[in-house]
Amino acid sequence: MTATGPLTTGQSLREGFDPYAQRAQASPVRFLYGVNPLAKLAAPLPAMVLLVFVRDAATPLAFLALSYAILLIGVTFTGRLAAILVALPVGAAVVGLGFSLWTDASRVDQSVIVWQLGSWTLYGGALEVGMATGLRIAAIAALTLIVGLSTTGPELVRATVQQLRVPYRIGYTALAAFRFVPRFGHELDVIRQAHRVRGAHGGRGPFAAVARWFGYIVPLLAGAIRHAERVALAMDARAFGAYPDRTERHLVPFRKRDTVFIVLFWAVSAALFWMLAPWGLA
Amino acid sequence: MTAPQRDPAAALAADSGVPLVRIHELAVTHDGESTAVPASVSFEIAAGEVVLLLGPSGSGKSTLTLALNGLIPHAVPADVSGSVEIAGVDTVSTTVADLSTRVAMVFQDPDAQLVTGTLLDEVAFGPENLRMPVADVLARAEAALRRVGLWERRGENPDRLSGGGRQRLAIACALAMGSPLLVLDEPTANLDPQGIEEVYAALADLVAAGDRAILLVEHNLDAAVGFVDRVVALDHDGRVAADGSVDDVLRGRADELQAMGVWLPVSTIAALRLRRAGYELDPLPLTPDELRAALDAAPLPVVERAKPRVVARAKRDETPDARVVERAKRDETPPAPLITVRHLSLRRGRTEVLHDVDLDIAAGEFVAVVGANGAGKTSLIQALAGVVPPPKGTVHVDGVDVGRADSRTLSARIGFVFQNPEHQFIAHTVFDELAHGLRRQHLPEDEVRRRTTELLERFGLEGKAGAHPFLLSGGQKRRLSVCTALVAGAPVLVLDEPTFGQDRARADELLKLLGELNDDGTTIVVVTHDMQLVTEYAHRTVVLADGHVRAVGATADVFGDAELIEGAGLRLPPLSRALRGLERHPELAGIARLADLPAAIGDAT
Amino acid sequence: MAADTRLSTSVLLTCAAIGVATGVLGGIAGWITVPVLAAVPIVYGFVLGVHVLPGIIAQEALRLPWVALITHGVAALVGIAIAPIYAGQYIGTAILFGGIQELVAALVRYRSWAPWRFFVSAFVIGLVVAVAVFFAAHLGAMPLWAQILYLVLSVLGPMAWTAVGLAVGRALRRAGVARPRAR
Ligand SMILES: Nc1ncnc2c1ncn2[C@@H]1O[C@H](COP(=O)(O)OP(=O)(O)OP(=O)(O)O)[C@@H](O)[C@H]1O
Ligand SMILES: Nc1ncnc2c1ncn2[C@@H]1O[C@H](COP(=O)(O)OP(=O)(O)OP(=O)(O)O)[C@@H](O)[C@H]1O
Ligand SMILES: [Mg+2]
Ligand SMILES: [Mg+2]
Repeated sequence: MTATGPLTTGQSLREGFDPYAQRAQASPVRFLYGVNPLAKLAAPLPAMVLLVFVRDAATPLAFLALSYAILLIGVTFTGRLAAILVALPVGAAVVGLGFSLWTDASRVDQSVIVWQLGSWTLYGGALEVGMATGLRIAAIAALTLIVGLSTTGPELVRATVQQLRVPYRIGYTALAAFRFVPRFGHELDVIRQAHRVRGAHGGRGPFAAVARWFGYIVPLLAGAIRHAERVALAMDARAFGAYPDRTERHLVPFRKRDTVFIVLFWAVSAALFWMLAPWGLA
Repeated sequence: MTAPQRDPAAALAADSGVPLVRIHELAVTHDGESTAVPASVSFEIAAGEVVLLLGPSGSGKSTLTLALNGLIPHAVPADVSGSVEIAGVDTVSTTVADLSTRVAMVFQDPDAQLVTGTLLDEVAFGPENLRMPVADVLARAEAALRRVGLWERRGENPDRLSGGGRQRLAIACALAMGSPLLVLDEPTANLDPQGIEEVYAALADLVAAGDRAILLVEHNLDAAVGFVDRVVALDHDGRVAADGSVDDVLRGRADELQAMGVWLPVSTIAALRLRRAGYELDPLPLTPDELRAALDAAPLPVVERAKPRVVARAKRDETPDARVVERAKRDETPPAPLITVRHLSLRRGRTEVLHDVDLDIAAGEFVAVVGANGAGKTSLIQALAGVVPPPKGTVHVDGVDVGRADSRTLSARIGFVFQNPEHQFIAHTVFDELAHGLRRQHLPEDEVRRRTTELLERFGLEGKAGAHPFLLSGGQKRRLSVCTALVAGAPVLVLDEPTFGQDRARADELLKLLGELNDDGTTIVVVTHDMQLVTEYAHRTVVLADGHVRAVGATADVFGDAELIEGAGLRLPPLSRALRGLERHPELAGIARLADLPAAIGDAT
Repeated sequence: MAADTRLSTSVLLTCAAIGVATGVLGGIAGWITVPVLAAVPIVYGFVLGVHVLPGIIAQEALRLPWVALITHGVAALVGIAIAPIYAGQYIGTAILFGGIQELVAALVRYRSWAPWRFFVSAFVIGLVVAVAVFFAAHLGAMPLWAQILYLVLSVLGPMAWTAVGLAVGRALRRAGVARPRAR
């Protein structure tokens, strides 16, 4: 599994979810792996917030390009990365088209008619609004991928403990939770099988499906909570929480380069906003 | 089990000064319970001593172990009277964290003891909590991992280990705490035979080193008796019924313990029976090796035993045969098997897990399916019951093609019992749980009520009709799950590892129940890792290995072939191991079932 | 913060268990976001409401301070593992929803756990979500009826999911699993 590239939080659950797996040594050019997870979260944050209020198409496009550049350089190139990078604009286009269908035709520029079906008309203006929205959402998603594709869950947790001073007992709770994921997934499969065999909530349609899923939740959670209680006993028996802090062998340091990364990213974001001036400030 | 014999001087030498553990009139009442279990326990453990704690199910053994390191009352709410002192320190007035450096624990479920992502991190977890310097943490972790033979795999995810490997890891984690007392609560209950062997090999090494005291709670005594110094037995209420050396307690008071409901080593049970049949076995053997040695030294019993043996053996076997013969006489045609499997190949994901399996099961049979982990046992029986649809035309049950049938048709013909009963409960009361199967068949409500009540009475659950299924005891849940599979009138019952994680007493109770159902005509197919139970109850055994049927045959024949069993990654049950290759008593060689042993003189069974 | 009030390990891990189970749901909700946004954007607020579940079930089952926020944190981590594209959204909803639920519980000093209290937090969450998504998705460009419908659905979403969470909590209690406990 590690042969295909570093393992990240994004590893699919079904294909042997192992959030702890040792990451293969990536070449130093793939710099994102070496950046502190918090820096990777903080750097794109202002841009993401501002993008929410942008209405043009050029600004999101610029940030989309920026994220793609960072990802292509900073993360090992794998089939998965390629698939995501292709899927994102496709998704944006689909969402954009959907939005343009919903857009109130009386509020947009009606000069260009793109498509006409009976009495209903899709105007160019509506398409423009829809596509801008799709692009905006794609750009925000792409910015999140910077941390999503280069950070493992445990790293993120360790960073919050070491830099944000989240109590380590809570951090380790989250680490233990990663162990629960595949276990509960398997448990859910078995519960579904068992209920199907017993013919619980047979029938088709959304309401039967909802009733069925509700039937799975209680046995799943009941088993999960009991398991959690047993794990808690085992942790207590090994002195968990004995002192206000504990020896930490896995350090996730916040170095100068992390600050540099944040500052650079903010500077570039500011420059882009200033140049493209989506609110007509310039 | 070939445990290295231990130097008793090690235990004696350490036997000075304050005892490591002093339990004085300990009584624990869990929150929400009205009686104290254990009711009153007093004993001491000296440094370096290896103590086995026995007692019937529910006598409070687990509760006692939790009280030793203060989890009771600090983490599990309960009322405690009496006292537990570890090296002179009272557990109630100390924190669990503090006690963890004196008492280390290994629990039953290996999965429930994992916190981190690699073996090394896992073992380091405890010392890190104690705020040790990194160098010390690593030194301890290395020492502990080396002792259980896992150092080479330190970088791996614990999920990749086998069950036995994960439990050895749990032992390493306990060792890394550096505590002089190690407490293990049924460390092998969740493992297959190979895993059990691994864990006991690791424990035997520890005992041989003699640097830790060990308190072991275990139902699987055949593996454990080899290396314990002392036995403490609790009675049903949780009072100390016996406390002394292995010789005094297990050999000296075996009859008494057995009457109390304490599980004894299979070899001892067999020896007790043989004694009654006139064999001279003194001292009472505890392990297969001892039994074999004792029998080879014993003269033939005074009375000729050949006949009763044949009678005893025929008794259980005759049930299906007699019925088959009768039916054959009636309609003059050979009976068609109830379940037929032809050329069954099954894929799971991308791999084929069953290869071209052929199998016939006749009505009224009790069939066991055995095999190593991953051999395809679950896949096979799931295909039989249609839990996983088999390819069309490969599996027929009572004339119905399982691959084509819908779930309602199937559930009227074959009932499936999952490993964890809770997974298959779907209603909020025990009554509705059973009634569900009948209401699906659109029976009138009167009929539903009548049949449900009947079944509840039969399984001893009538008092629980209004209770939530999740609130039943473990044994009751298991009985209810069997009920739910039977209620639709299915003549075939298929069970996946029904004894997993249960103690021997409960497992035996369940199999007895299945035996009764079988006597009434229900065909039973069961997957289990407990070889002794297989041999006790199953008429026929199917051995699977790597998705192939390695052998199908009468249980006694299958377990008579040691090469076959070991070749399939399995272990012979203790009794077969003891009786195989007996020189002096050919009349006993090849017996696998306790029930087949010569009966007591003058006893018809 | 929470460590000083010392929630027991068992409470913490119970939060983790609830967080994982509900986080998987959140992950699924994440994946259906794109089709929903594309086809019927006005119900998006309703779908987003599913993220109230971790906190509701945890509070209903445990009835202790901090459990909503911790459970949300775990659910977010699991959600990110399933759908990394929504990492930002998961972290945001965890802090926002968990924070609001915690705040409402804190305002009554963690004494009242009556259903109305849960619905108050759901209402507040619904309003906040409605406003945030309104801007992000440029819903101002839609017809007025769609905007009103969207607003109503956004507020109803968290309310409906809160009711589901309470029902799950009650079912768990009936099964004897979740019992409010002392720290
Ligand atoms: N957490 C708990 N809450 C309430 N009652 C409990 C709890 N744990 C155990 N008990 C009860 O305490 C009694 C003793 O149980 P315990 O598990 O100690 O027995 P045991 O000797 O270990 O049995 P077994 O051999 O089946 O493991 C039982 O009646 C059980 O129902
Ligand atoms: N849902 C699944 N998807 C893919 N592979 C599976 C699945 N279930 C089982 N397998 C694989 O099929 C093989 C047979 O599994 P199965 O569960 O039938 O074995 P088993 O004999 O019951 O083992 P165990 O003793 O561990 O229960 C194993 O190699 C297992 O990894
Ligand atoms: Mg026990
Ligand atoms: Mg199996």
